[in-house]
Amino acid sequence: MNALYRGQYALMGGYTTVSEVVIKTVQLTKRYSSWWGSQTVEAVKNLDLEVYRGEIFGFLGPNGAGKTTTIKVLLGILYPTAGEAYVLGKPAGDPETHHRLSYLPENPYFYEYMTGKEILTFYARLFGIPEPERSRRVDYLLDRVGLSRAANQPLRNYSKGMLQRIGLAQCLLNDPELLILDEPTAGLDPIAHIDIRDLILELREQGKTLFISSHQLSDVEIVCDRVAILNRGELVQMGKLEELLSGGYVEMIAEKVSEQVLEPIRQLGGRPNLHDGRLIVEQPDDGSIDRVIDLVRANGGHIISVKPYRRTLEDLFVETIQGGRRR
Amino acid sequence: MNATFAIAGATFGEAVRKRVLMVILLAALVIILISPAFEPFAGRGQRTLVMSFGFGIIQLAGTFIAIILCTGLIPNEIERRTIYTILSKPVQRWQFVLGKLTGAISTLAFIYAMMGLVFLLVTRLSLGSFDFQVLKGIVMFFLQSSLLASVTLFFSTFVSSLVNYFLSAGVFLMGNLMSTFLETIQRNPEVTPLTRVPVQILTLILPNFANFNIQNPIINPEQVLTDELAYFIQTVAYAIVYMALLLVASILIFNQREM
Repeated sequence: MNALYRGQYALMGGYTTVSEVVIKTVQLTKRYSSWWGSQTVEAVKNLDLEVYRGEIFGFLGPNGAGKTTTIKVLLGILYPTAGEAYVLGKPAGDPETHHRLSYLPENPYFYEYMTGKEILTFYARLFGIPEPERSRRVDYLLDRVGLSRAANQPLRNYSKGMLQRIGLAQCLLNDPELLILDEPTAGLDPIAHIDIRDLILELREQGKTLFISSHQLSDVEIVCDRVAILNRGELVQMGKLEELLSGGYVEMIAEKVSEQVLEPIRQLGGRPNLHDGRLIVEQPDDGSIDRVIDLVRANGGHIISVKPYRRTLEDLFVETIQGGRRR
Repeated sequence: MNATFAIAGATFGEAVRKRVLMVILLAALVIILISPAFEPFAGRGQRTLVMSFGFGIIQLAGTFIAIILCTGLIPNEIERRTIYTILSKPVQRWQFVLGKLTGAISTLAFIYAMMGLVFLLVTRLSLGSFDFQVLKGIVMFFLQSSLLASVTLFFSTFVSSLVNYFLSAGVFLMGNLMSTFLETIQRNPEVTPLTRVPVQILTLILPNFANFNIQNPIINPEQVLTDELAYFIQTVAYAIVYMALLLVASILIFNQREM
């Protein structure tokens, strides 16, 4: 188990740090069987995953990919069929580690009869936080997630956004090292959405490790350092976001261009399209656009625009899941 | 233990807000209160009527409440997914099960206390003085319901709420009848071992709910318990040991349960 804490050097978020593995799965497999064992569904297959301290890790995949199953195994709610899972250096589900992590389930449900303050007090008691620290922390977190004014309202009167905020507040009660968030921004209005995204970024600033399962790819692209994409229980892509999203292109539009430039542009890897002296070029984002611009100008052409197109996480996701087929 | 008490508190808080339970309680309290008014139709003495009515209603309400309260204790937590935020905290599964049972028994204690108080009041109003003998019956019925709650919680660790209703009600019914049935069979020399042995085994395994039915000696003072103290000690010990065994079995099953 010490191997989990052996220093590993990894580039994260643009800076180098000695990183500790916070979540590790080795050939993790989870099968669901029917009562009589006649039907078996393999929800997660031979999953190898490593999440480092201090990073925001995006855990992606279509519905039924095995994301929530993996999270449940990490929390000890489900038991692995084969393979191993470690969280914070201990086997997944070890209650000791639960003092140091927090979990926000998808569409969190709470005891609706309780008020915001009561539910946070309840969870603080589960963490064993004594008074007066408990009350101090509950009040602070209610304020932090913007629910101080609704603190004494029963949760049944809360909107979805308010419940999500309470969910995040309960995650922060124990000042965790690791937060596991399942769809933290799903179904929220734009304001609540931005608030929660900002809160996630704030947590990264504090050095927390965040493991986020989400379908909101634009959010993941903004906040995550690394991502893993799961499809039908199998890991199909994992890496640093900037590496996975490399390979965009630059679009250049020019006028008064003659046909002579077309062949040199093709040789530079570009895809030129000339019509009535108007040239549109899709050039790989590898610096060769400078030479194309020089070439067009030398040929008497007039540059109208140069616009870089970055590959998005959505592009990567669709390519990974559907093999690049898009409608 | 803080986590166990927190879960017990939440279970109690939720239970006392369940409308169906409170309607049963309220109906029971009203019937106990108006029971003396039935005297002209009963053809029995005022005391016998009040006692029979009171104990009957209290046992019935307590049984219904115990089953309705406990069938959903664990399945509801899983269906509503409230269990995920609880088990992802430093809470062990045994603490969760113990907390749920403690919360359910606390709720039953509250409900029996309410019914007991009203019953005492009715004895004062209709019989002229408080009859504290009824408290013995209340305590025994409370133990009976607590044991039933343990049985229902045990089933709730592995069956759905609907199945649990029938299972728990069936066990309660059989647990009330088995000892009488066994006695009848043992008195009959014509019964073969093929019939007798399964009945003996079932009587041994199923909780003997009939143990707690102490109302007859209280209603009819001519029926006297030979050794009341020994009866109480044995019955309380029986309830505690059986509940502890059921709790251990519930924890063992719930430890293996995947959600």
